[in-house]
Amino acid sequence: MARRKKIEPPQEEEITSNISSMIDCCFLLLIYFLVATSLVSEKKLDINIPTPNSSQTSKKPKVDPGNIYVSSSGVVTWNKDLTVGEAYDPGLKPGTPEYLQQRRMDSLVESLKLLKEQATALDTTPVVMLHGSGKAPHQRIVDVMAALAEADIHSVGLSTTPDE
Amino acid sequence: MAKKEARAQEEVNAEADPSPMIDCCFLLLMFFIVNASQITVSKDPSVNMPNAVSASEMKDANGCIVVNVFADPEIMGAKNAKALEKYNKNYNPGTIWGVADASQNSIGFNSGQMQELSDFITKQREAMEGKKIKPEMIRLYLRGDADAPWSRTAGAIQAAAAAGVNNIVFGTLPAE
Repeated sequence: MARRKKIEPPQEEEITSNISSMIDCCFLLLIYFLVATSLVSEKKLDINIPTPNSSQTSKKPKVDPGNIYVSSSGVVTWNKDLTVGEAYDPGLKPGTPEYLQQRRMDSLVESLKLLKEQATALDTTPVVMLHGSGKAPHQRIVDVMAALAEADIHSVGLSTTPDE
Repeated sequence: MAKKEARAQEEVNAEADPSPMIDCCFLLLMFFIVNASQITVSKDPSVNMPNAVSASEMKDANGCIVVNVFADPEIMGAKNAKALEKYNKNYNPGTIWGVADASQNSIGFNSGQMQELSDFITKQREAMEGKKIKPEMIRLYLRGDADAPWSRTAGAIQAAAAAGVNNIVFGTLPAE
């Protein structure tokens, strides 16, 4: 009887991939995005400016337009008779209760919401004009824009009034 | 005794398993990639951003033409000396509007250069239209300093309107 030679299977070698370069690459990407990303991301307030060729410009609006005035000191008035925001204080630190109180203009939001309701009842869009003094601080204009956004009004006419 | 030696040898061969660390690293990477894509507009450090109580998230920065509006250097310096240092380094004295070109070089415009600013916005708009960005998505992204006078912001809006851009986005930071 022929003697068969036992064929031994080749020794299994452990195949391992070297992942260290991938980890290096991954870390580099991580560091890049860590540096590139600011956690407090900027927010936005959208505004559409009515153009001269808009269809509504020639027609008289069904609802009286709302007028917001911002003086050079930052005092905000609604339709010239109601003061809705006090003078701007640049010394207040962001995050403090006083700062937040100055940013909020609840009575303006209420007036704007009322205007929006009146316009919706008459199936039209509310017309709001923002008249800012040339020296009015940008922060105060942003406060007004935030109030408009809160009242869901995104189309505003802008004008610059002569400095008092 | 022999048992102890064998045990000691086994301990020497112990290897650290890096797979959980890699998993963690990937998760962090994904988090930062997602956050970085929220807004990638050029942020000028010389602008002290205003805060708003009610503002929405900036989900897509595509189509944004960024214009920085600066405050007076004295006010800027009183609030942040580094901001003033960078402003002096990047811009000529009297610059009130700052933009960045395609290679991220800072370009400044003074109050008498509204037409030049308008021309720059027109070029940016045309370049975006060439990239098939919808006209309604082309917006002026205003990064106005909290202490900048309204006339400067209004001037930038006027220049954008002359360049055919009527959608305005005011850049802000959350107040709370």
